[in-house]
Formats: sequence, C-alpha cells, structure tokens
Amino acid sequence: MKYILMMNAPRQGFETYRAWSEKDVQTHMAALWAINKDLTESGEFVGTEGLAWWEDAKLVRAGKNGSPVTDGVFPESKEFLAGYWIVDVENPERAYEIAARISGAPGPSGIPTDMPIEVRQIMTSRRQELP
Amino acid sequence: MKYILMMNTMRASQGVPKWPQQDLQAHIAFMQGLVKELKESGELVMAEGLSFPNEAKLVRADSDGMPITDGVFPESKEFLAGFWIVNVSTPERAYMLAARISAAPGPGGAPLNMPIEVRPVPSGPPPEMV
Repeated sequence: MKYILMMNAPRQGFETYRAWSEKDVQTHMAALWAINKDLTESGEFVGTEGLAWWEDAKLVRAGKNGSPVTDGVFPESKEFLAGYWIVDVENPERAYEIAARISGAPGPSGIPTDMPIEVRQIMTSRRQELP
Repeated sequence: MKYILMMNTMRASQGVPKWPQQDLQAHIAFMQGLVKELKESGELVMAEGLSFPNEAKLVRADSDGMPITDGVFPESKEFLAGFWIVNVSTPERAYMLAARISAAPGPGGAPLNMPIEVRPVPSGPPPEMV
C-alpha cells in the first residue's frame, strides 16, 4: 500500500525554521536522511522531495485562450507543502509509525519538532475505485 | 528544472465528485492523456493522485516515539488532491502545463478553472543546510 507523508507548514513555520542555527539544521537533516536510509534498506522507500520555499510558489489558472494566468497571492492561513515522502508499506499503522519518526526528528537544541505529518493513501495505487 | 504542480482542494471534497459518470470519465481521460503526453515529451518525473481527505490522518510522535493519530483538521485547510512533478526547460513551460490542468473538463465538459500551485523542486537541499 502506498502512502504519502506530507510535511505542511504555514509561512510562519518556514520563517521559524529559517532562524534555526546551522548545527540544528544539520542535526535535523541527518535524522531525516537516516530515515530515508532505513526505508531504502527495508524496501519501503518510494520517493521523497523537499520543495522550494513558499515565496517561490505561484498559483496558476488558464486564461480565456488557455494561456496561463499566474498569481503569487495566498491567504495568510495557507499551509504550504514543505516536503513529502512516499512509502510502500504493509499497513497504515506502519505509515503512521514512519510519520511519527519524522515528527520526532530533532529541532532546535535537539528537542523533537513534533511537527504534524499528514498521512494519506495514494489513490493511484487503488485505480479500481475510480470510474 | 523540476517543478511540482499541485492540485489543492477544500475540505468539501470527501469522495468522488457527484458528477455524471460521463463527465467523470472525460475528466479522467483528460488527466491520463496529459500524463501520456508528458511521458512522451520526456517531461514527466511522476504524477500521483491521493485518496480523499476523509482518509487523511495527522500524525505526531508521543514521548516514546509512538504515533498519535488525529483526523481533525481546521475547516480552512486545503488538501492536496494530486500532483505532477515535471522536468521542464523554463518556468513558463511549467505554468503552461498548470494552465492546461486548470482547464481540465468538469461537469458538462466546462473547464474547471482550478488554481494549480506551482513550485520549484530543488534537486537537493540548499548548501547551507548540509
């Protein structure tokens, strides 16, 4: 079963992260890489990406002739996807366990960030349910 | 340059939309056609559709590192419905593809005009983070 584990944060969360010391960032990244390595070894790793920061985000719609209309204005409350992992696991509980490990990755002074991680199954692996 | 094109929806979408079967099929055929085209042009990195928001869980670790799951989300939360990662020559090309997705057919074949969020996907963490 494929699950996506999403790290979402409002703008303020990104700004807080930006203020971390270099050492704290490195410790945090090392913990995330260790998770990727363990998932690769267990055969559960499908993919992960970290996205560019929210200020690089554009909202795109099609204009009348189909050409893109871009906009960079987002509501203050909007959460932006910071990054995600896709894992292939036996059951949802295992996906939650991995998400908990990500949530418990060390933040400033080594204290777990306790970031909420959104977990959802990938629908494209359940294609039979689509019309 | 890698870009992610995200289709975000509001909470209202709790399952397959109640559109006529024919409109749903036309929408899905459009999406499948786009993926096929992007595979042929060599621009597709990956595309996934997610399950509906009613299946979403928010997970944190308790003091022992065990998962605490919660399914309560703020009313205003946007949910990712699906995404495409494309490898394109310019941001304009990414915006063009997003515009096509935005205009995917909805009920009665009318363009949905959904906003698509587009953001660069760096090939690795920024140098100051490693």
